[in-house]
Amino acid sequence: MNHLKAMIANKWNKRTRKAAVSFIRAAVLAVLAYQLLYPLLYMLSMALRRPEEAMDPSVIWIPKSFTLSNFTDTLRVMDFWDAFANSMYIGIGSGLLDVFSSAFVAYGFARFRFPFAKVLFTLVILTLMVPVQTIILPLYAEMKYFDAFGLMGILSAIAGGPDSISLVGNYSAFYLPSLFAMGLRSGLYIFIFRQFFSGMPKELEDAAYVDGYGPFKTFFFIMLPNARNAIITVFLFSFVWHWNEYYMSNLLLGNLKKNFAIALSSLRVDLESVVNVQTISDPLVIVTRIQAGALLSILPLVILYLVTQRYFTDSVENVGIK
Amino acid sequence: MISRLRSLPYTKKKQWYGFLFVLPWVIGFILFFAGPLITSFKYSFYNMELTPDGLKGSFAGWENFRYAIFRDPQFIREAVNSFVNMFYSVPLILIYSLFVAVLLKNKFRGRGLMRAISFLPVIIASGVLMQILKEDVFSQGLRGGAESVYLFSGAGINGILTELGIGPQLIEVFNNVIARIFDLTWRSGVQVLLFLAGLHAISGDLYEASAVEGARAWEQFWKITLPMLTPIMLLNVVYTIIDTFTDYGNGVILMIYNTAFSQVRFGYSSALAWLYLLGIALFLGALYALIKKRIVNLQD
Repeated sequence: MNHLKAMIANKWNKRTRKAAVSFIRAAVLAVLAYQLLYPLLYMLSMALRRPEEAMDPSVIWIPKSFTLSNFTDTLRVMDFWDAFANSMYIGIGSGLLDVFSSAFVAYGFARFRFPFAKVLFTLVILTLMVPVQTIILPLYAEMKYFDAFGLMGILSAIAGGPDSISLVGNYSAFYLPSLFAMGLRSGLYIFIFRQFFSGMPKELEDAAYVDGYGPFKTFFFIMLPNARNAIITVFLFSFVWHWNEYYMSNLLLGNLKKNFAIALSSLRVDLESVVNVQTISDPLVIVTRIQAGALLSILPLVILYLVTQRYFTDSVENVGIK
Repeated sequence: MISRLRSLPYTKKKQWYGFLFVLPWVIGFILFFAGPLITSFKYSFYNMELTPDGLKGSFAGWENFRYAIFRDPQFIREAVNSFVNMFYSVPLILIYSLFVAVLLKNKFRGRGLMRAISFLPVIIASGVLMQILKEDVFSQGLRGGAESVYLFSGAGINGILTELGIGPQLIEVFNNVIARIFDLTWRSGVQVLLFLAGLHAISGDLYEASAVEGARAWEQFWKITLPMLTPIMLLNVVYTIIDTFTDYGNGVILMIYNTAFSQVRFGYSSALAWLYLLGIALFLGALYALIKKRIVNLQD
C-alpha cells in the first residue's frame, strides 16, 4: 500500500516538474521572441505613423492614423528599385557561384587524399580570419586596373588594345572572386560543404564508379543533387551577406551604383538634404522615414527567409558540424 | 589530359583528381587573397599616391608603423577600445547563444517557430542596420519612450534603483549592460545556429548510457554536452572575435577605411590594417594555445 502511494506521489511529482519546466521555458522563450521581434515591430509601427505622432507618448504600438507617405517618400529618396536591382544581381549571382565553387572545392577536400591537403584546408580557414579591410585596397586596385591576370597585357603587346580595364562598377568584380571560391566568407561555405560531404555514405559514390562514372560526373550528378540542405544554407548565407555587406560594395560598385547597404548608410544624409530643399526641417519626418527605409531594405530578405526557412532550420540538424 | 589520368594507378589517380577539385580555390587564393595580402604588406612601407596612371609610391621604411604606434593620437586609443569591447561582449554572446541553443534543441510545441525567430538576426542584422537600430530603436527603449512601456522602461528602473539608494555610477553601469543586451542578442544569430548544429551532432547514445547510470540532466550538461561541444566552441569563439573586430561600427575599421579613401593615405592605411591584423593574430594565437588542451576531438 505504502509502495503504491509512493509511486503515485512520484508520478505526480514528475508531472508537476514537467509542467513547471515547460512553463518556465515558455516564459523565457516569450521574452526572447519579444526582444528579437521588437525592432521589427518598432520599425513597422514607426514607419506607418505620421511624423507628428512619432514621439507622441499616447501612441503605444498602433498609430492613430495610418499613412504610407513615409514609404513612398523613402522609395524615391533611396532609389529603391535601382538599389533593389543591384542588390539582387550581386546577391543571386554571387550566391549561385559561391554554391557551385565552394561545393566543388569542398568535395575535393572531403573525399580525396592528396599531398598538402591539410595545409591547404588550414589556409581555407585562415582566409576567414583576415579582416577584409587588410586586403581591400590592393583588391580594389586589382579590379580598377584589371588585366585578366596578365593575359591582357600580353594581348595588348601582341595585338594592341588596352592593357587593362576597370571592373569597378561592374558586377564581375563580385562574381570573379566567387567563381574561384574566394568571395565573401567563402571559407565558411567550403567548411560547411566539406562537413556535409564527409557525412554522406561512401556507397553512393562506389555505386557510381561501378557504373562507370568519373569523379567529376559523380560530383555533378550524384553528390550535388543530394546536397540540397547544404546548398540552400550556403546560398542563403551568401545572398544575405552580400546583401548586407557595406565596405566592398561601396568600393567596387563605384560612385554611380548603390545597393541597399550603401543606400541605407547614407539615408539620413540623403533625407536631410531632400527635406531641407522642401524647407521642412522636421527631425520627426526623418525619424519615421529612416524606419520605413530600414524596413524596405530588409523586406526582400525576410521574404526569402520565410520561403527557405524550413530547409534552413532542417539543415541545422543534418549538416552535422563536428 | 584526362585520358592520361585514366591510365594512372588508382591511388595516384585519386590524388590528381583531388588536386583538380581544389585547383579553382588555389587560383582564387593566390589571385584574390595571397596577392593582395602581400601587396598590402608592401604598401605599408611606402607613401602611396594615386596618380592618373595608377598607384605610385615612395619608400618610407618603418615610418608608417612608427607614426601609428607613437604619434597617432587616434589609433592606439581605438585599438584598445575595440579590445576592451571584445573582452566583455564575446563571453556574453557565447553564454547567451549556448543557452538559447540548449533551449531550442529538444522537441516542444512551437519549436519551429522559435527557431525561425532566433535565426532572424543571421538574416537581418547587418552592420548598417545595427547602426540604425542602435541610434533609434534601442536608445529609444532606454530613454523610456512610449515604445518601451512594456519591457525596459529605463526611467522606471532608474527610479526604483535610486529609491533603493544605489549610486548614479552603478545605475550607469546597469544601463550600459541593458543597452548592450539588445546589441548582443542581435549579434548572436550565427553562434546560436552553430551551437544548435553542434548539439544535434552529439550522439544520443551518450545521453542514454549516462541516464542508465543515473546521471541527471544537470550532470549530463556539464559532463557530456559541454565537452562534446568544445570544437564548436572553438569555432564560435574565433568567429565571434573576428566578427567583433571587423564589425561595420568598429572604430579601427572605420579609421582604416577613412584613412585610405577619405584622406587618400593608402600606405598609412595599409600599415594600420597590418598592425591591427597582427594584434588580432597574436591574440587568437595566444587564446588557441590556452584552450587547445581542453578541446575534445573525437574525429580521426
